[in-house]
Amino acid sequence: MVANRHILGTFDESLSALRNNVLMMAGLTERSLERAMKGLLDRDDDLCANAIADDEEIDQLEMQIDKDGVAILLRFQPVASDLRRVVAAMKLSSNLERMADQATTIARRARKLNQHPPLAEVELIRPLYEQAMSMFKDSVDAFVREDVDLGRAVVPRDEILDELNHSASRKLIERMAQDPEQLRGYLNLIFIGRCLERVGDHATNIAEEAVYAAAAQDIRHPSLTATT
Amino acid sequence: MVNVIMTTPEQSVTERIERPAQPPVSAEPAPKLTFEAKNVSIWYGEKRAIENVSLDIASNAVTAIIGPSGCGKSTFLRALNRMHELVPKTRMDGTVLLHGEDLYSKTVDPAIVRRRVGMIFQKSNPFPTMTIGENVVVGLRLNGVRNQKFLNERLEKSLRMAALWDEVKDDLHKPGTSLSGGQQQRLCIARSLAVEPEVILMDEPCSALDPIATAKIEELIHELKAKYTIVTVTHNMQQAGRISDYTAFMYLGRLIEFGPTTKIFTNPTEKQTEDYITGRFG
Repeated sequence: MVANRHILGTFDESLSALRNNVLMMAGLTERSLERAMKGLLDRDDDLCANAIADDEEIDQLEMQIDKDGVAILLRFQPVASDLRRVVAAMKLSSNLERMADQATTIARRARKLNQHPPLAEVELIRPLYEQAMSMFKDSVDAFVREDVDLGRAVVPRDEILDELNHSASRKLIERMAQDPEQLRGYLNLIFIGRCLERVGDHATNIAEEAVYAAAAQDIRHPSLTATT
Repeated sequence: MVNVIMTTPEQSVTERIERPAQPPVSAEPAPKLTFEAKNVSIWYGEKRAIENVSLDIASNAVTAIIGPSGCGKSTFLRALNRMHELVPKTRMDGTVLLHGEDLYSKTVDPAIVRRRVGMIFQKSNPFPTMTIGENVVVGLRLNGVRNQKFLNERLEKSLRMAALWDEVKDDLHKPGTSLSGGQQQRLCIARSLAVEPEVILMDEPCSALDPIATAKIEELIHELKAKYTIVTVTHNMQQAGRISDYTAFMYLGRLIEFGPTTKIFTNPTEKQTEDYITGRFG
């Protein structure tokens, strides 16, 4: 990521520590989402409990990254690509923390579902999960590799995820009408779908930050940037 | 400026808030230019200090020149008021236009150029034998101005513009050197303003000052640009980021990159600029 060594070794060390914490947080968030969804799909309460427990470490990392980021801004006043990397790292951590919150919500709702007989409709959620996770992994990859093309490619994929969510919700609402006894279960699945849709929103944010960090291009809200 | 929007009860909260007036979207007009330097090269004896530097300096803006020691930034600055000619065996190629007029034309008197283009140095240099008041108007006196009323008016106006009047108005008879370092630097700025120059050049104006005195000079620079064009040389990257509208990066006597300061400090085009401003040079 860093082409040449900084004249201050301590600056390179601080930047590298910040980046490592972001990567660790991304890894933990990914694991937490996987555990929550596996807990749902395999009806495994232990995995759900693990996903919920992961959240505390992720919250701690978020605070650590914010603290380290502010310290770098204060001590070294970075500019150009260094400044963009620090700002992007801090924004990433905030998005990762909210993704991990979604994992916690999914795990809690999965535990509720696991208390009742299995619902075949849980499979409606699987395509959303796969789409959201692939967006998440690619957005983090785009940040790590400073890959502008990959970052840009993630953004339009959010519309597909939204459509998958709408479609799953429609089917689940139909099932509610047909089988009111399972209403709570279908409602939990709808909420889980919404969580995954939000994971996709955060992945989009991360991809946009990755493009900004790598190329100083603000690709958020294209309709606004076209007129200003 | 705030536009108060007339509201109706049906409007949402976000529709009812006061919004800043948006200027109409239009292409940015090209800035008016004070200096146009074209292919400027300067030699001190055999040594070429700067090589083929072409740079346009916008009016009523602050242009910062940054670069490592010996890159030629002070030499370029001095070329803007022919100050470099005071060094023996100096030679210059290229042209420098001030408001379209060739500064190096044979018919131009360097003394007149230096009156039109004032200069502030790294170390404040009030005349040690003169009072605060005498220091400010010395340029006018040397130009033959004798009218005391006029001198007094210009004295007060210059000191006010240099944000020094309130601090020294009761001590105008005291030696200029009795002031603090930051005050002495503002006194030198007042001295420069008294002859009503068109441009102010500053060579590291804050490098010998504490943070409070530096902040005062920086605020002053911000105020002065409404009336003057300012070109400053600085080693302090944060200061360049704070005070300047445009930044030029020089290295080994060449102009590597020039552009709006926000662009240079967030997304420079040249790798050498990026390496220098991020501290990865050499």
